[in-house]
Amino acid sequence: MPKPEFVYVTYIETTPEKLWEALTDSAFTRRYWFDTEVRSDWKVGSPVALVMSGTTTDTGEILEVDPLRRLSYTFKHEVDDNMRNERPTKVVFTLKAYGDLVKLTVTHEGFTQGSKLLDGISKGWPAILSGLKSLLETGKAPTIPPAALGIEGFE
Amino acid sequence: MSKPSYVYVTYIETSAETLWRALTDGDFTERYWFGNRIASDWKQGAPYGFTKDGNPMVVGQVITFDPVRRLAYSWDNRKPEAAGEATSRVTFDLEPRGNVVKLTVTHDELGEDGKTLRDISGGWPMVLSNLKSLLETGHVIEIAAPSCSAKDAA
Repeated sequence: MPKPEFVYVTYIETTPEKLWEALTDSAFTRRYWFDTEVRSDWKVGSPVALVMSGTTTDTGEILEVDPLRRLSYTFKHEVDDNMRNERPTKVVFTLKAYGDLVKLTVTHEGFTQGSKLLDGISKGWPAILSGLKSLLETGKAPTIPPAALGIEGFE
Repeated sequence: MSKPSYVYVTYIETSAETLWRALTDGDFTERYWFGNRIASDWKQGAPYGFTKDGNPMVVGQVITFDPVRRLAYSWDNRKPEAAGEATSRVTFDLEPRGNVVKLTVTHDELGEDGKTLRDISGGWPMVLSNLKSLLETGHVIEIAAPSCSAKDAA
């Protein structure tokens, strides 16, 4: 049985500095993350909150901060009645520079078998990371209609 | 137990027509697919192949040809390092959504030993990152294939 986790790799023409800022600056995250501010002081042990258009959708705790290289936090959903009862999961961002581009690997793990949250984030990350890549390469994020993601209740 | 499969979704600011051409035109694939040119007369059941510098790299048959929605072909990797690998299947689904096209690439019927899965899990993100950049910015990003091969894709 494959491990219940989600892995996504994308290559972005940018610098690790800009990509790091894009992942940790709440004004920046709003531009590509469906109006979500990712709020934290980015110290190990500090809280992190994902606030979408004023609503806290997910919360967690900072696990690792290795600037320009690796960032991880726990991730617990707070809105959907089924998903909010699932145990906290873990998100890891790994940045690796190759010449003029950065390889970004996002790993989201720690799900129970049959997790509904895993299904949701598997649909969410490709859209968020597509928007991120476009924003860094072209200067603007394309408008991805939320309904395109196919997540129940996100339209 | 089902055979391993791989799925990658990306959203590209383009039209379904342009994306379709990018997937089926050899001049186009050569630019973002590490020099690999695709060629076929694009009929269901017809042969198709990728060549690089004139050498066959991947060959197969067109399974589904439904412009500009769905393209599927069998995938028989002819590179020496892939000798003995089972023939697998690649499917592209294109869904226009506003200004973007949602592209879903499914590579399935993979060998049960997991080797092909590991190899293609490294390759698809590079090819599809390049494709997205080319369609959105007009140029590809210079991914040096050998320096970021499948082994460090995890």
